[in-house]
Amino acid sequence: MVTQDHQMVELEEGLVLEEGKLPKSLWRVRLTLARKVLRKNWRLFSENKIGLFGLGVILLFALIALSYPLMRSIGPWQNDTVYDPITGYEAVLEDFEIVLTEADVVDPTTQMDANTAQLFCFGVAAGDICTVPRQPARPGPDHWLGTDPLGRDIASQLAYSTRAAFLLGLIAALVTVIVATIIGSVAAFYGGWIDNVLMRLADLVLLLPLIPVLIVMSGLLTITLPLLGVLIGILSGFGGTAIVLKSQALSIKVKPFIDAARVAGGSNRHVIFAHIIPNVLPLSFLFMVFTVTEAITLEATLSFFGLLNVPMSWGIMLNIAQTEGYLRFGLEYWWLLVPSGLAVTLLAAGFFFVGRAMDEVVNPRLRAR
Amino acid sequence: MLKFVSRRLVQMVGLFFLFLTLVFFLLQAQPGDISNLFIDPNLPREVQEQLRERLGLDGSVWSQWATYLTNFVRGNLGVSFSQYPRPVLDIILEALPRTMFLFTLATLCSYIVGFSLGKHLAWRRGGFSEYSVTIGGVLLYTVFYPWFAVIVILTFGSRLGWFPINGFLTPEFWRNAPYSGNQVFTQMILSLFIAGAIAAFTAWWARRQKDRRRARLIRVTGYGASLGSIVVFWALRGDMRPYALDIAHHSVLPVMTLTLVAFAGVMLLTRGSMLETLREDYILTARAKGVPERVIRDRHAARNALLPVVTSFVLGLAFIIGGGVVTETVFSWPGMGLLLLGSTVIEDVPLATGALAFIGILALVAHLVVDILYAVLDPRIRIAGGR
Amino acid sequence: MTARTVLEVKNLVMNYEIKAGMVSAVENVSFSLPQGKSLGLVGESGCGKTSVALTLLRLQAPNARILGGEVLLDGENLLDLSSEEMRKRRWSGISMVFQGAMNSWNPVYTVGDQILEAIDLHWDPKPTAAKARAKIVELFGLVGLNPDMIDRYPHEYSGGMKQRAVIAMALSCDPRLIIADEPTTALDVIVQEQILAELKKIQEQMGMSIIYISHDIAVIAEITDLLGVMYAGKLVEVGPTVEVFARPRHPYTWLILSSTPSITGERRQLAPLEGEPPNLLDPPTGCRFHPRCPFATELCVTEEPPLAVIDDGHSVACWHHEKVPVGVRSGR
Repeated sequence: MVTQDHQMVELEEGLVLEEGKLPKSLWRVRLTLARKVLRKNWRLFSENKIGLFGLGVILLFALIALSYPLMRSIGPWQNDTVYDPITGYEAVLEDFEIVLTEADVVDPTTQMDANTAQLFCFGVAAGDICTVPRQPARPGPDHWLGTDPLGRDIASQLAYSTRAAFLLGLIAALVTVIVATIIGSVAAFYGGWIDNVLMRLADLVLLLPLIPVLIVMSGLLTITLPLLGVLIGILSGFGGTAIVLKSQALSIKVKPFIDAARVAGGSNRHVIFAHIIPNVLPLSFLFMVFTVTEAITLEATLSFFGLLNVPMSWGIMLNIAQTEGYLRFGLEYWWLLVPSGLAVTLLAAGFFFVGRAMDEVVNPRLRAR
Repeated sequence: MLKFVSRRLVQMVGLFFLFLTLVFFLLQAQPGDISNLFIDPNLPREVQEQLRERLGLDGSVWSQWATYLTNFVRGNLGVSFSQYPRPVLDIILEALPRTMFLFTLATLCSYIVGFSLGKHLAWRRGGFSEYSVTIGGVLLYTVFYPWFAVIVILTFGSRLGWFPINGFLTPEFWRNAPYSGNQVFTQMILSLFIAGAIAAFTAWWARRQKDRRRARLIRVTGYGASLGSIVVFWALRGDMRPYALDIAHHSVLPVMTLTLVAFAGVMLLTRGSMLETLREDYILTARAKGVPERVIRDRHAARNALLPVVTSFVLGLAFIIGGGVVTETVFSWPGMGLLLLGSTVIEDVPLATGALAFIGILALVAHLVVDILYAVLDPRIRIAGGR
Repeated sequence: MTARTVLEVKNLVMNYEIKAGMVSAVENVSFSLPQGKSLGLVGESGCGKTSVALTLLRLQAPNARILGGEVLLDGENLLDLSSEEMRKRRWSGISMVFQGAMNSWNPVYTVGDQILEAIDLHWDPKPTAAKARAKIVELFGLVGLNPDMIDRYPHEYSGGMKQRAVIAMALSCDPRLIIADEPTTALDVIVQEQILAELKKIQEQMGMSIIYISHDIAVIAEITDLLGVMYAGKLVEVGPTVEVFARPRHPYTWLILSSTPSITGERRQLAPLEGEPPNLLDPPTGCRFHPRCPFATELCVTEEPPLAVIDDGHSVACWHHEKVPVGVRSGR
């Protein structure tokens, strides 16, 4: 936290200096200084290869998320209800060669035994070709990643869900930062019993395993995507993040500029909002990043169990593959299994890598000599 | 040390009541009135009132809260809706050992694997191995867990056929068994507990020895006896052994999967902690003393790097418990997690909240155990009694 | 009768490799130390004295590159040894008392166990538990610690006690040479005096050699036989302590002595040393002190002065050593 502290002093000293010359608004000065700090930190960050890799992954997914509205409005999925991730339907027709008995079926993706074939093409015999509508359909020119067991386009679902994942992450991260910064600052500023009560609660929330709590909650309320974001944000913001930010706020509380603000007649509210919170914020961005990781994996897990009221997400995609019984075939239906699972894993890891790299920037003890 | 532990114990009890309160208000917060779950709104009003009174739902929120807490302490968690009229406590106590078994084994494995990998990562910084292990570890840490579990099952269960796909035991095999699954499982836990107790006693006794050679002798025989106790235990229960092996066989995949996703967190923490420890002056002193590098790494650096890793166990606890719930569900391991999800889905509210409360207890107890372990590991706390 | 030479350092050159280039930390340093004598190495922080000390034990940082020279301990070049052989020489040949005794102890083991570790590693044959214990008790007595403290943990020691225990540990394997790197810097003055006096006493009793490293020339002067002055990675003057104090021949030595107050001497204005130590990424040409030297000439900028003997055992690296006045300079 050394550089962090140092930057804060700079931030506030720079403020005093600039104010001596020409009076600017507090936030504008801070912004200028923040830009300087940001440039320096970016240099440190960019030395971390794993962090850059994470950033690359996030940008890739941002492009995928962005591609969805483009594809639907001007791209190849334009005005075509087939490509709606939730209500779209298309059963791709596939030709099957009819073979005599079940035992002769060598390749079930191109051959069909005569008995089964009677259900689709009445009166065919061995050697004939029977055309059958297939869902899930394998990847092809119309459906780049195939269709799901309900005949919906996987690629479109994937892109649509990416957007939902970012949205969820954003909500959770924002709520975390708001909750944690306010709780941390208030606990540090007032101390005494307020601090005590808040920190005991934080201890408790820290111990709470999120998954079981959210599972039980899902039984009691209807959880939608924004509500899930808010819940994750509150639960992760009130726990460890609040505790760390409190200690950061404590170290700021004893800085001379806080006394100066008090002497100048600043109210408690003014001191908290104008001085403590802005100086705690940089550290809280770090926790935002980790919260995004948590939110993405949590949503996927809860959706997989079918506990959320979400129209479409990566978790739902896998949930459908499971409830329709396609998971036990393994890689035979890889397009049902791989895209959603990989997307969750990669995007969550991307945010985690970025968070770790940021941690090394903020926390120089972790850096190489 | 006693002072330290007893103070933590009091704090834990306080935290637990706070937790119960939270669970209680979670119940209150659901839309509508909880009594709607129990009372048919088509009944006449007077009957409804009567029922409400009988169920203790007529008082204020606070009196209901007090009743809830007292009932909980008395072990009265209500009656399950879905397995009526079985008491919730009864159902939970049956599932609890299975969860603790899974949780304890996976935690131990992930700490051992994570710690030794993290230690090596910090010792040899940089290079391809660091990048690949870090990236691999993080990918496992952030993996879409149910998906990963499915892949593990598909690979080791379906394709390779090394392990059973799911469940706690093989029903066909147990059809004519003279024992119930729980009987055998209890014996398995007893056996592990005996071995663990012998090992813990050995560690404690060896520590008290002034003479190093004697301490080593005690360690070798003690840990040997710990392993031997398992062999002897099962040699004496020959007819139960195949059934125990069946359960053990079923537990391999869940434990392995949970370990794989949980170790990376420990690994990254150890690496950071070890990097800081390696900068300490006493490492330089040890080098100057001519202590071999491997001993510096293990006895001096890693031993100290372990302390923050143990403290941060609390942070990993929620992760591994959450992971345990998912594991049990995907592998149909009939523990608390499966109970929790199952009862939630069928809206068996008393069972779901009871299970949640017990998962909370599990977390608190684990927290306490780790606090004690920390005090044992750090002489500054063991002797000064904590700050 | 001349005493046997324990340590001889010849033309030692060591650089640190950093992103910006090579830092010339130790440049062509040579000195020798006879059996039973003590040598003080003084200089500003960053002048390379700790680098020299660590290099003697081959404990230099991973980015350090030894580019040349020899370190002869009883005639054996330590720089040629395999790392396993070097490991065996550590503590039994050369032991070290480190800068921050506070942090020299591993917090999770008792002090006695940590001393025992050194004994177990280096005594040949390995002593019995009782014998090792007796040695530790003896060492504790020697440094003035209560033997009851042996089984206590470092956090139960005060700062001075930790430092005494560090000295006890340094003595545990009867080394021929002890390097004491700022042994008392973190302690208060009274404890500092006591510990230095005890070190001196022990050294005389056991007849070992000591190298003291300090930034404080006054502290070192009281207890050493020889004095070496380092500036910017180079040894600029070395000689008998009394001699160097009475007649400093290098302008840098002269200037730092002038900026040090004397309790017994006359009252005078102190003359502070002006200028900054040079950037060792790009050291000055010729004599590294020339930018700050009042006597510098064209020659000093172009040619590097060798360390030349000017008196019996007194050497100096300066083209103009005869210009340096006798006695200290007075400030304005």
